[in-house]
Amino acid sequence: MKAIRATMRAAVTDAWANRSAFWTQLAAMALNDIVWILFWVLFFGKVGTVAGWDRTRVLLLLAMVTTGAGVVLGLLSNARRIGQLLVNGGLDAALALPVRTLPYLLVRRVDAVNLGDVAFGIGLFLVACHPTPERAALYVLGATAGALVLVGFLVLVGSLAFFTGRSEAGDLGFQAVILLASYPVDIFSGATKALLYTAIPAAFVSAVPARLVDHVTVGDLVALIGAAAVFVALAVGTFSIGIRRYTSNSLWTRA
Amino acid sequence: MTTARTWAPVAVRSAARRAARDPGGLAVSAAFYAIVASVLSTLWRTATHSHGGVIAGYTAVQLTWYFYFAEAAVTALNPRQIEITGDDIASGAVAVDMLRPASVVGMRIATEFGRCLPRLGVCTVIGSVLAWLISGAPPRPVALLLAVPALLLAVLCNLAAQHAVAGSAFWVRDARSAWFLYQKLVFLLGAMLIPIEALPLWLHRIAEVLPFVTMAYVPARLAAGHVEPQLLLLQLGWLAVLMVAAVTVFDAGERRLQVVGG
Repeated sequence: MKAIRATMRAAVTDAWANRSAFWTQLAAMALNDIVWILFWVLFFGKVGTVAGWDRTRVLLLLAMVTTGAGVVLGLLSNARRIGQLLVNGGLDAALALPVRTLPYLLVRRVDAVNLGDVAFGIGLFLVACHPTPERAALYVLGATAGALVLVGFLVLVGSLAFFTGRSEAGDLGFQAVILLASYPVDIFSGATKALLYTAIPAAFVSAVPARLVDHVTVGDLVALIGAAAVFVALAVGTFSIGIRRYTSNSLWTRA
Repeated sequence: MTTARTWAPVAVRSAARRAARDPGGLAVSAAFYAIVASVLSTLWRTATHSHGGVIAGYTAVQLTWYFYFAEAAVTALNPRQIEITGDDIASGAVAVDMLRPASVVGMRIATEFGRCLPRLGVCTVIGSVLAWLISGAPPRPVALLLAVPALLLAVLCNLAAQHAVAGSAFWVRDARSAWFLYQKLVFLLGAMLIPIEALPLWLHRIAEVLPFVTMAYVPARLAAGHVEPQLLLLQLGWLAVLMVAAVTVFDAGERRLQVVGG
């Protein structure tokens, strides 16, 4: 644990070393998020409500997804690169170290640009989502559980590269889950909606946590915590099985 | 310096062939496109149904075709092209291009256009099939035929504008953040996320006079069944302006470029 903490400290210091780049990237991400707010404001200004979603609910959804995804993609940045690391030999350097490989890989890199998402998500919640102590506690719980679902899913699809030898599934899984989590889940129906609660768990990254903040139900709470546990377990299991059959690419790169 | 008529077709063809030989990359691009376009069209279709069947003059069927084509025009390009070109300039790698007896920016645009063609073709076919299956036949087949050259012009306009912006790296040495801002301008003012008719009037007026509409809105509007061939002329006009801008920026930048080492 001490080594993992030290690795994370080094990754944060690395990201912070170039201050101007750090702040520029943070600002760029904040600007990106503001454009999405503008889109939703314009959209709901034109159409009113859609499938029970209005501007306020979507802003809460946006706050939830930017916070949860920002934590994962900012602090555990390699979660989205597991597949690429396996295919490009990035794993080799990590295997030689006396630390557990998956936690080390996850904390090895910090992306400042996504930390801008975290700051933005918290700011959006405070400004536009009617914060009260109870809602704030649910927001923290929801964002944490959503982040666990996301990191579990990303490691899971990235680890498929152990078996397929290609990283495209991981790249596509990342793009799909982030995109689908950014839209109200109720616009979908049938098989697509079922997919968002199972194979691509976008609903558990944003919609279910956002629903919890507005209206707590035992069912949603159990489902969210259960989904987080299942995806983390699947990720750890798949990575562990995969690493046993891993053979080096004989490339020595920075993880 | 040889004329563009000599090297441009060769650059386009060879880049297109190289891109077509990467089926894995094409499959990921196509799958990503299908997801993004399907999500956007579903959102707008749902909104249309709960809004009396028409939004900003578009029916659900029209909006479905609109978003599949708008997304195809944008997804065909590498979203980080500005960053990549800017990095090549900042690192001095662009100096290698200057050794060729051809325009640096012309060659880069031609190569990137060739690289986009297989992606554009795959996305357009998949988008048309999905739009047809989900919502029905295209609103007006004649307009859909016009949308095909509009897609090509949209990609060219986008590439020319991206190179004009990336050329700023000759002076500022870093165009990394610019692609982020540029992409958002295409999303909103280029009407990839929302048709310009659905924007508030003041924003609609701004979008109309900017080149971003040529990059997503024009092919999308045509695919939505509006027989408006004048939109192709608008694209050609902006393409000329944007190409001149890109060439001017690169010419000025190349004159002041200093590369140390190699």
